Amino acid sequence: MQPPKPPKITAVEVIAAQPTEADSAAIAHLSAELNRSLPQVVNVVKVRLKTKPPATSMGWALYVNDVLIPKYWEYNDGIYFTILDPQFFAEHKGKRLRFSQNGVDFYDSGVKLPAPAAASKSKSKAAKSKAAKSKTARLPLQADVLK
Amino acid sequence: MTSLNNPASAGDVQFDTFLYGAPPLAYPVSLSQYAIYNTPDPAYITGRINVSAFANLGASTPWPFSNTNVPLNGHVCVPHGRGPFPLAVFAHGNHNPFENSTPGYLYLCQLLASHGIIAATIDVNFLNGSNFGENDGRAIVHLEHLKQFRTWNNTAPHPLHGKVDLNRILIVGHSRGGEAVGHASFFNRLASIGGVLLDGSAGLGPYRFGLSAVAAIAPTDRQFTPVSGPTVVPDSYYVIHGSQDSDVFTFEGYHTYERAHSVDLANPTVSDGKFRAMLWVHKANHNQFNSIWASETPPGVAMPRASQEEIAKVHLGALAQAVLLDRAGYMDVLRDHGAAVAWDPAGAEFVSQYQDPERLFIQHNQEGLTVPVVSLPVQGTVATDNVVATRQLTALVGGAPTTTITLRLVWNALGSRLLLRVDPSTLPAQVYKTLVLRVGQSTEANNAANRDQDFTLEVSSGSRTAAIPASSLHRLLYPDPPPFGPAKIVMQTLRLPVERLVKCGVDPIDLRSIALVFDRRATGTVYVGDLQCSN
Repeated sequence: MQPPKPPKITAVEVIAAQPTEADSAAIAHLSAELNRSLPQVVNVVKVRLKTKPPATSMGWALYVNDVLIPKYWEYNDGIYFTILDPQFFAEHKGKRLRFSQNGVDFYDSGVKLPAPAAASKSKSKAAKSKAAKSKTARLPLQADVLK
Repeated sequence: MTSLNNPASAGDVQFDTFLYGAPPLAYPVSLSQYAIYNTPDPAYITGRINVSAFANLGASTPWPFSNTNVPLNGHVCVPHGRGPFPLAVFAHGNHNPFENSTPGYLYLCQLLASHGIIAATIDVNFLNGSNFGENDGRAIVHLEHLKQFRTWNNTAPHPLHGKVDLNRILIVGHSRGGEAVGHASFFNRLASIGGVLLDGSAGLGPYRFGLSAVAAIAPTDRQFTPVSGPTVVPDSYYVIHGSQDSDVFTFEGYHTYERAHSVDLANPTVSDGKFRAMLWVHKANHNQFNSIWASETPPGVAMPRASQEEIAKVHLGALAQAVLLDRAGYMDVLRDHGAAVAWDPAGAEFVSQYQDPERLFIQHNQEGLTVPVVSLPVQGTVATDNVVATRQLTALVGGAPTTTITLRLVWNALGSRLLLRVDPSTLPAQVYKTLVLRVGQSTEANNAANRDQDFTLEVSSGSRTAAIPASSLHRLLYPDPPPFGPAKIVMQTLRLPVERLVKCGVDPIDLRSIALVFDRRATGTVYVGDLQCSN
């Protein structure tokens, strides 16, 4: 028998979406922990895979360079995870997505984490805050993003 | 053992099996295996729970609900009679979500119910798929099922009113569900997780169940890690895993096992009053513990399914009878798998470990990567004669780096020895029943392939010495070649009764030295976990 092989990533995109109720609670909790306000936005990172990993227990942990993505989920074309703190992209955009099963041996996907389109734009804090409410309402639902 | 019945044999208690669930539910045709939960028994209607703080549902499986209202579905075997009966609840792990994994443990539920235990197997299929990190969610679902049984127990007209002994609960999980029961044990004591309240105000919790033990079948480890660090299971912990597991192909649960009830360096004599036990089953694979899941190994690699299920029945049955029914005799099976030899399939090979709540470490090796010493408060010295003794952070069983130090002993001449001299005034061996050692061999070249390793345990008091062959206590099996990757080094607990020492003239009040004398194999490498006096 052969050991399982890591999934192959064919594309990655980041799409801003409306937070769910649970996301909003998590944003509030994280905001309090970080002592800074976070936007009411969930960045959905869609990782398109050539073949989805089988639904086994061992699974592949996903890392952005050395940072573990603690949870990811399945959608039709691959897996996705969500980022609540935009600072994550400031710190990790351009870093490689890697898979590991033990935190020691890593498989480099060769694909880098892109920045969300909105995060790359430079806006003043006040302008961001003013636009935040209406902007959130204009964002797509996560369910739609994942279709 | 003659006074005990085979724990895999059905008891004489009659029971009924009910489906429980949370209607209205209408699973689509593609999820037809779940249609049984559309119409649960009218007396066993449950509610929905919101797990959205912990988990999303796979977007490519058409579940007829969202993560804010997942149903509490399951199968429960209820003994006839007034009760109260202990409760055992099983959970599956990750698998193809289009196949219902839940009924796969009915063979165990039926066994336990026939002995007077309410036994359920729960639906966590909605968390299955190509996902990762959701095992906190699985733990919450498991605890919420326990809460459902508490609600029924407390509801006057319900058939389970007053029938559930909420202080005798065993939770069992397989695979990712096996990791999750460890988290459940940890969460059971918490009032919140992060920002999520578990006090009932938001629907989840409160828990605080009396968990008699937590059992994991071929579990994963650390796919979810709490902010406080890797979960340390606070309840008594049992883990069973197969050497031919081709899904969880490293012995992940061993890491969980090593963290549970380990020595507290600041208070090495203090015990939390819980046991831990482990069973490593040669030739068992991953999927055959679930009667629904097709074997993941090619034909001929693993033992027959019937044998693997029988082993699960013997050993989980013994665990359940010991911790839920106070049949203490069955603890012998946990202490030493040899106690079950008449019940296990012929020819089945095992490695087992057991750590009793009542123990005194003579050498635990956790002081650091230094030269080996006798561990405080026992005082003494360690000497070697033609043995290279090195403390190592060796990942004996593969997987993530370990934090538990083992002592590696290498010898290349007959008569080599590791000698621990102890001050008898610091070692009250007479108050314990056994001298316990964990030791296992590797596949390194100086161990003959496919041959048991062996040595002599020499224990002395004054002028009297007992020389006990390790092989008279247990076989030290050569590692079973795994389906892929390096072989696992699984240490066997050797339990030398103090009574046997006394018969050899050794006075346990005056125990002065313990030696591992390598006089039975000319060369070898073994790994030693710890040496204890224990019950």
